[in-house]
Amino acid sequence: MDPLRSYLGRLLQEEITPVIMVLSTPLVEDACQTNGLNFIELLLPFSVFNKINVPVRTASDQPYRLQMFKLRLAYASDIHLQNYEAAEEHLKKVVLDASQKTLTDLISEPPQLENLLKNSESDLCPSWIETFNKELIRTLSFSEHETFDHPVACLLVVSSKDEQPINRFVDILNTNQLPSLLSDGVMDPKVLKHYLLLHDNQDGSPEKITSILAEMRNTYGSNCKLLCINSAQSANGNGKDIQWMPYGSHVLRNDDIACFLSTDDINAVRDFMLDLSSNYVIPHVEQKIRILNQQVAATRKGFRNQIKNLWWRKGKEDTPETANGPIYTFSSIESQIRVLADYAFMLRDYELALSNYRLLSTDYKLDKAWKRYAGVQEMTGLCYFMLDQSRKDSEYCMESAFTTYLKIGSSSQRNASRCGLWWAEMLKARGQFKDAANIYFRISNEEPSLLAAVMLEQASYCYLLSSPPMLRKYGFHLVLAGNRYYMSDQRHHAIRAYRNALFVYKQNGWTYISDHVHYNVGRWYSFIGILDVAVKHMLEVLACSHQSLATQNMFLNDFFHIVQSMGKKFEVYKLRLPVINMASLKVLYEDFRTYASPSDVHVSESLWQSLEEELVPSASTGRSNWLDSQIKSSSSKRNDESPVCVAGESVVVDLEFINPLQVSISVSEISLICELMAKSKEPDTGSASHTAPEEDSELKDSPSCRDSNSDGSFTLSKLDVVLGGGETKRIQLEVSPKIEGLLKISGVRWTLSDIVVGYQYFEFDSKNKEKKGRRARRSLSHNLSFIVIKGLPKLDACIQHLPKKVYAGDLRLLLLELHNQSEFSVKNIKMKISHPRYLIPGNMEDLEMDFPECLEKQKSSGSKETPANVMLKFKNLLFSFPDDATIQGGTNFTWPLWFHAGLSGRISLYISIYYEVASCSSDMKYRILRMHHDLEVLPSLDVSFQISPCESSLEEYFVRMDILNRTKSETFSLNQLSCVGNLWEILALPESLSMQPVQTLLAGQALSCFFKLKDCRKVINTEGEVTLQGSDLLMISHSCKEAMIDVSRSPLAEFHQHERFHQGKSAKGDSSIVDFILISKMQGNGPVFEPGMQPKLLSYHACHCSISSRCPLSWQMNGPRMINHDFSGSFCEANFHLRIHSCSDAAVIIRLTTYDTLPEKNQSSDGVKLSDSAENEGGWHDISLVNDMKVLSSVHGNRPKKSSVDTLSPFVWCATSSTKLKLEPLCTTEISLKICLFAAGTYDLSNYELHWEVKPLEEGIAGVSSSGTVHGHPFYLTVLHAPR
Amino acid sequence: MANTACFIIVSRNDIPIYEAEVGSAMKKEEAAQQHQFILHAALDIVEDLAWTTSAMFLKAVDKFNDLVVSVYVTAGHTRFMLLHDSRNEDGIKSFFQEVQELYIKILLNPLYLPGSRITSSHFDTKVRALARKYL
Repeated sequence: MDPLRSYLGRLLQEEITPVIMVLSTPLVEDACQTNGLNFIELLLPFSVFNKINVPVRTASDQPYRLQMFKLRLAYASDIHLQNYEAAEEHLKKVVLDASQKTLTDLISEPPQLENLLKNSESDLCPSWIETFNKELIRTLSFSEHETFDHPVACLLVVSSKDEQPINRFVDILNTNQLPSLLSDGVMDPKVLKHYLLLHDNQDGSPEKITSILAEMRNTYGSNCKLLCINSAQSANGNGKDIQWMPYGSHVLRNDDIACFLSTDDINAVRDFMLDLSSNYVIPHVEQKIRILNQQVAATRKGFRNQIKNLWWRKGKEDTPETANGPIYTFSSIESQIRVLADYAFMLRDYELALSNYRLLSTDYKLDKAWKRYAGVQEMTGLCYFMLDQSRKDSEYCMESAFTTYLKIGSSSQRNASRCGLWWAEMLKARGQFKDAANIYFRISNEEPSLLAAVMLEQASYCYLLSSPPMLRKYGFHLVLAGNRYYMSDQRHHAIRAYRNALFVYKQNGWTYISDHVHYNVGRWYSFIGILDVAVKHMLEVLACSHQSLATQNMFLNDFFHIVQSMGKKFEVYKLRLPVINMASLKVLYEDFRTYASPSDVHVSESLWQSLEEELVPSASTGRSNWLDSQIKSSSSKRNDESPVCVAGESVVVDLEFINPLQVSISVSEISLICELMAKSKEPDTGSASHTAPEEDSELKDSPSCRDSNSDGSFTLSKLDVVLGGGETKRIQLEVSPKIEGLLKISGVRWTLSDIVVGYQYFEFDSKNKEKKGRRARRSLSHNLSFIVIKGLPKLDACIQHLPKKVYAGDLRLLLLELHNQSEFSVKNIKMKISHPRYLIPGNMEDLEMDFPECLEKQKSSGSKETPANVMLKFKNLLFSFPDDATIQGGTNFTWPLWFHAGLSGRISLYISIYYEVASCSSDMKYRILRMHHDLEVLPSLDVSFQISPCESSLEEYFVRMDILNRTKSETFSLNQLSCVGNLWEILALPESLSMQPVQTLLAGQALSCFFKLKDCRKVINTEGEVTLQGSDLLMISHSCKEAMIDVSRSPLAEFHQHERFHQGKSAKGDSSIVDFILISKMQGNGPVFEPGMQPKLLSYHACHCSISSRCPLSWQMNGPRMINHDFSGSFCEANFHLRIHSCSDAAVIIRLTTYDTLPEKNQSSDGVKLSDSAENEGGWHDISLVNDMKVLSSVHGNRPKKSSVDTLSPFVWCATSSTKLKLEPLCTTEISLKICLFAAGTYDLSNYELHWEVKPLEEGIAGVSSSGTVHGHPFYLTVLHAPR
Repeated sequence: MANTACFIIVSRNDIPIYEAEVGSAMKKEEAAQQHQFILHAALDIVEDLAWTTSAMFLKAVDKFNDLVVSVYVTAGHTRFMLLHDSRNEDGIKSFFQEVQELYIKILLNPLYLPGSRITSSHFDTKVRALARKYL
């Protein structure tokens, strides 16, 4: 790029030009003032010559033509360095003027990236910044260390009205208006003088003037001119097309400007200026260059001069270093070189200028005149640039100038800025935008905030211009600029800078940045009173969870303050505070399914459906048969995609509100946004797609505009909550439609801190909907619309006194209370309970009696028919209330329920109640009420039974009951042990044998009790029908008056059936199985139960306790125990019977073998076997008994062993030694045995064995075919010798 | 340890996925946003530099007043950016290398979606320990 055509080139050609000092009289100014201009302003438009085309010859012999030329004009009084404050004020004014223009932009939308990049380079940077730069450079004019501002010529102007105009010229030269630089001797006082006589044509004819002019010419020579102005008689528009006003003029622009100037006047002014520049100024400068060049060549050029110069300067080394270095007068050689270089620069002879600047720079450097040195370096750099020579050199020079200026200190700070500006422009001209931006940034570091702001803004534009555009740098520097603007009270500019940067920070993630930008923009907009935009920006920072508590508070307070100052309720779409978790949206509504409490809704639908399979008509469960045709035609099926809700009943929307801040916020008036189209208005098709197109447009409206609830067709719940820091609250919002139609729930609205109204619409994308429909067990249709149908009866239900925590075995009576709210009555009520082991419906009569008493045994046993009833109920879990049970509108209905905590652990009870609407006109025929309760059953008593056959009697068994109290603090009293069924009878052991009856069981205590069980199975009953008569045993002492509890009656018997069912193992035959029920009472009321109640009744059911040991037989030796015999006669014969009883269900084949000699090793094998079998039994946790039994058996077996050793074979078995027979199930048979005795003594007749083999009931059934061998029980026979 | 140091991991989508002030200086309110601004702006420079070299460690790419931005670019164009005021290039290099190992471990987690925010507290403590060690 041609440097002359670049911006900097043009700038230099405009700014570094010869200065003409103007001295004028007051009358001159008066004449000009009639046009609204001063004298300089009058000349100014004509001081620029774009095509002057004059030949110029400087030091070299080769002339060249100068095209563009400009003269600078300045009053003598202005030729001095502006002081710092004035300059500052001036610059501030420039910025302020620009800010007035930007106000309109601030209301419009901030720029976007695409638009910004489309803009050309010149559009990007606001034009006022260029002006600012020029003004900044101008404030540095007329400094003492540079000479290009020194006046080249002096223009003396006197009005023709002045008295003695000739003398006036001398006067104005002699007044002390002359600039101080001249008097200081820095400037050359011998400048070209030009004399001008100004004539105002309105004052009269110019006859007199010519004589004055002639006189002037006589006195001052040829360079005297006459200028006539104000020739026009009245205001005309001749001067309109000329740019009169330079920037920063003190005159206001108006129509009066130049109104009295005729075309001739303007042309005269133009001609005058052209004449001045081409005929006087340029030749003068040319001549000056040539003279100075000769001088410099004579003193400095050449080897000899250089040596001399060096030596001479060395001598001055000891001079103290001052900031400005030594003072150079105009006559010093350094000043002259500088003037030469500057003049050469003005006339575009850059080669000459460069060589002189370089010559000068070494001098200044040696003299340590740093400011001058920097100034020279600056100009050297510019020369390099204008010559388009080595970039490196130019940059080096600018760099050294810049740093040198900075090194000097604050006095030349502004010079550094100017140097930086030129440098940056230079880099920009070469396309090095990034470097230019760096320079601007360096300038900004040194300058006060306002200047820094402008510099930073320019830096940001440089980043944008670099390729590729560095947007983030652009944004950053704009923000920095904005910050500085704000610091220097330029709010408009600050906002402009920030909002231009906004698009850079659109992307999420950089939270602190976007918070800072939005917050400040919002705040500043509020300062300048544009509140709506302010609020828009403040909304962006509300959800600032990452900020500290103080910052969050500040953000919130400022936001509220701004909204409050707006003075109206403000509605915001998608207000970010509090955050609404849309994924948590759940809609709870009741169609034919109703719920007793909201928590019941969360139970999965499939669970309910499986429970209600038999309850509801088959169509709703999805099974189709010929019966469901009428249901299909009903209107509930008409619109598959829209769920149904009932008028008068509320639809609940469950939503999570999250406060992301640490500050607690109050949210009030949370409610749904709904629409209800009455049935008449509803389109016939009723499809949602019909209304879909308008939906999108509606979403943009605020809810207050479309509040359709004016007719009160539905009611909304309003909730107020306070969300603490970081809190999440689940909020249930209700809408209850009152009329039939189509209800649409479209969104939610809330009020934040009573100031801001936020609203948000529910949006679903199809994928999300799919997921929700599955999980939340409701298919959420598009935009949540419901078909509202006519009001229906609805039952409410609760179970009274249902505890949350119970001990296992707890038995109690509960009340199910049904309440019909509506005015319609319901009928055909049915109920199904998921766990009949825990909860069964009772009878109406149960209500009439008090709880514990109703269980007690009544004298009149009139409830014989109940067992059959029970069995029926057990098979069918469905419970139908009596047919006459209809619930009228507004009435209550109670029904007893029996509760029994069967098993410890957590249990969820599900209860479904089906009912039909009495008036069949409605859309829905039936409804279901669902209840769900969770309860925890704590372990209380562990009860286990062990039954072993009694050796002394075939019909009797020993029962050992082991009880362990597993509670921590409760004490139980044992009341009653019953065995179920009339096959068995439980008896207490004889008083002498049994231990002291234990009444209470403390926490953690274990107890074993022994009982006798009597077999009452008279007849072999293969059907195994269990009749629940049972026999009971009161365990507590008889002194206490406690009534027996009847286990064969309704609740206990039923629960027992369920227990049997649940405890059921592989049931192998009913008859050998005993069921026990232990009834106990809780003594102390523990902390988990409410005090003041009567002792809790607990029942424990131990089912399927098998009486059979491994041996299916029981046998007994019958015969004489003592015989008196006279052995002198013959040997003694004794007869015995062995009664064998089969306990097995199958036929047993038995072989009895007798031994005369008993093998020793088999002696105690029976006992061992017993203990083995005992260990294999489940439920035994105490093996001490086994040891007891061993001891017992060994005690029993000790004596006979000895005796048998003593009397080896004292008797022999006679008759058959082996008998084999088949025993039918549960039969008893007798085998006769006979022994021969040969001496008196005591004999143990246990040396026989029974081999048994159980045959399966039928052939082909693989299974219980087992066999074994048992030894005989000890049987002692005492034979006494009784001599006759 | 450096007086001021702000470590940030920027995903390939230019979104910060991990931020930690690891300097020993007291944390100030404005510092957080200023650091973000500087680091965010430095991304432009990184964009230029990353493709001119095969090295992952780009050394100091940018500076703002006395704060220097050092950057390490992983193969997946995730950028580790450290804003610091100390001139300990070797330490910073080792710091970046060790953090990359930690970052790879994060990436290996099948539940971590690349480009999403790193919320692992383990990662956080490890990074801070490394900062104490090297910076």
